[in-house]
Amino acid sequence: MPFSRRTLLKGLAAGAAAGAATSSLAFPAIAVPRTLKIGVVAPRTGPLTLFSEELPFVLDQVKKTFHGQIKINGSNHPFEVIPKDSQSNPNRASEVTLDLILKDKVDLVCTFATPETVNPVSDQCELNGVPCVSNDAPLESWFFGRHGDPKKGFQWTYNFFFSGNEVIHCYLAIWARVPGNNKKLGVLWANDDDGNTFAKVMPPVITGKGFTIVDPGRFDLPASNFNAQISTFKTEGAELIFSVIPGPDFTAFWNGAAQQGFKPLAVSPGKVAEFPQGVYPYGDRAVNFSIETWWSRFHPFSSGMTGQTSGELADSYEKATSRQASMALGFRHSLFGVAFDVLKRTQDLGKRASIRDALRDTDYKSVVGPVNFRKGPFPNTSLTPLVGGQWRKGRKWPLELVIVDNSLAPEIPVGGPVEAMTYGS
Amino acid sequence: MIDTIANVLLQGILLGGLYALFALGLSFSMGVMRFVNIAHGDFIVLVSFLLLVLTTALGLNVFVALILVLPVTFAGGFLLQRFLLQRAAGSDVLLPLLITFGLSIIIQNGLLQTFGADSHVLAGAGTLQTASIALTSGIYIGVLPLLTLLTAVALVLGLDRLLNYTRLGSHIRAVADDVAAADLIGLSSGRVYALAMGIVGVTVAIAACFMGLNMNFDPTSGPDRLLIAFEAVVLGGLGSLWGTLAGGIVLGIAQTVGAHFDTAWQLIIGHVVFLVLFLLRPQGLFPKY
Repeated sequence: MPFSRRTLLKGLAAGAAAGAATSSLAFPAIAVPRTLKIGVVAPRTGPLTLFSEELPFVLDQVKKTFHGQIKINGSNHPFEVIPKDSQSNPNRASEVTLDLILKDKVDLVCTFATPETVNPVSDQCELNGVPCVSNDAPLESWFFGRHGDPKKGFQWTYNFFFSGNEVIHCYLAIWARVPGNNKKLGVLWANDDDGNTFAKVMPPVITGKGFTIVDPGRFDLPASNFNAQISTFKTEGAELIFSVIPGPDFTAFWNGAAQQGFKPLAVSPGKVAEFPQGVYPYGDRAVNFSIETWWSRFHPFSSGMTGQTSGELADSYEKATSRQASMALGFRHSLFGVAFDVLKRTQDLGKRASIRDALRDTDYKSVVGPVNFRKGPFPNTSLTPLVGGQWRKGRKWPLELVIVDNSLAPEIPVGGPVEAMTYGS
Repeated sequence: MIDTIANVLLQGILLGGLYALFALGLSFSMGVMRFVNIAHGDFIVLVSFLLLVLTTALGLNVFVALILVLPVTFAGGFLLQRFLLQRAAGSDVLLPLLITFGLSIIIQNGLLQTFGADSHVLAGAGTLQTASIALTSGIYIGVLPLLTLLTAVALVLGLDRLLNYTRLGSHIRAVADDVAAADLIGLSSGRVYALAMGIVGVTVAIAACFMGLNMNFDPTSGPDRLLIAFEAVVLGGLGSLWGTLAGGIVLGIAQTVGAHFDTAWQLIIGHVVFLVLFLLRPQGLFPKY
């Protein structure tokens, strides 16, 4: 009998029916594509809310790009993105991750926004054997903050961002070029993960470069006032200020500084000046705030997901939301870029380990730069380029970020020189 | 050196003004009405959120918003006393304590539901929050902290006058001294208590406005404010409004001095000074009773 198309189809149908009747386990997920679930843990409320500003826009982009279907190994799979709110609280972040894993049975977890969110989420995923990709947590805080062993690395969790080492060198490059400063750096490091890490890592590096540190000590957040710190900075003659505290606390400090007539030459408010909404409230008193810049519309990369250049991505965000694009936009976008790239390359969707292998082998051109977890500097991490920026009066927006230093990433163009604070004059 | 000491003391006194504002309402209800309001801090935070909504949604100047809010909080205090707290008055001390504890939990969770866990600072006061006066080259006074301290002094003065020189004040004092006797001579103790709580409501609104302008707040900051207020009242001595002002200033100075040596010590030194003074002088600095 000649082997025709018709008999083949009949045979297949009969086989499938028989398989379904006897045991549904015999043919896993071949006939009906399973819905893939991607869990997202993000601080939608609490002090880290600013980090989640771009999430709805990017989720919308994901929807429009894929139309709820992702093509893997030639067949279309529906997918679902499940967002959860960490409330900017590490315990809560851990809790909702466990919910995602146990109740929603997600295939992949995505998370971002400081070690306070990313570390507990990654730990939970590592513990439960679920692949997790994250960004927006400095590599050292993520790797060593979770007691990672550089020889072994982690099994399930991967992170791409800049490293603390890069940040320090980026700031040093800016501060060294602030005209006429005495290289005395006043620091506001709180009694939290970031504050304690900076207090441990930064002084040895920075004193080696001829800077002096004026450190009034760790303090608990939220702090009610900063008079003591300000008077210490004044008596010690600090002309450069570096703070790593959330927005409302920085407001208390910066208002206090004005009340006390304290006018440093350079101010780098970490956790605040990364975001346009973070700097707007200070108006003229925010001009020339300097900040590490992880992504901008000037970064010469384009998205592997939508094909947009950095400039186009920023424009589409600003058009859709009437809000100024922040550097977080590039990272929100690239997080999902990497996640979908991983799923597309997965060999066996039934196995979490197979998704993990695809994640491990990532070599992806994202809008924030190339992502490759084999390149380090630590296992399971990928380093993205970092430049230094300053806020200037803008044309389209009240304040716009200008890149002033690219010593760590010469491929990103510089837009202007380093300037001292002006205080509206 | 002299400059530094003077500056630390000055900033401490200014901070103390804010703490005294937190404490005045509590001092009034504890000293005059003999009841402990566990929800005092949460009331302050609640009104701060109310002011936040008025200033951000309607774009009002924060002091205009405060004037709009004052009648609301007066009515709030009046009604709260009349319809809830009055029912527990006269029975044991535990009942009002439990009721206000419950209110505290309700307010915190209600705010958390409505506004999320974000912390906020009040704006909408123009350049007031950044304005300063230079005394010498090294010592500056912020206009806002100065205004806060002056408001606290004015409020103490006003409440003192009200208590000691007005008819309402004598009614309040009569009811506070002996409810039964006051009722016998024809005072409606329920109404007098309710009016007194309305006055507490006014002080709460003023405290909320200056707290929101000076420092950040979130739905769960109430208990922290209550602790400071409590310490100021106890340090100053029950029933003495001027004592409460002094208590607030002592705490402010203690915290600022502590923070001057190491910022980690700011809060702990405040509490230590409170405990030491409490051991040495349990009745407070200027006790009335």
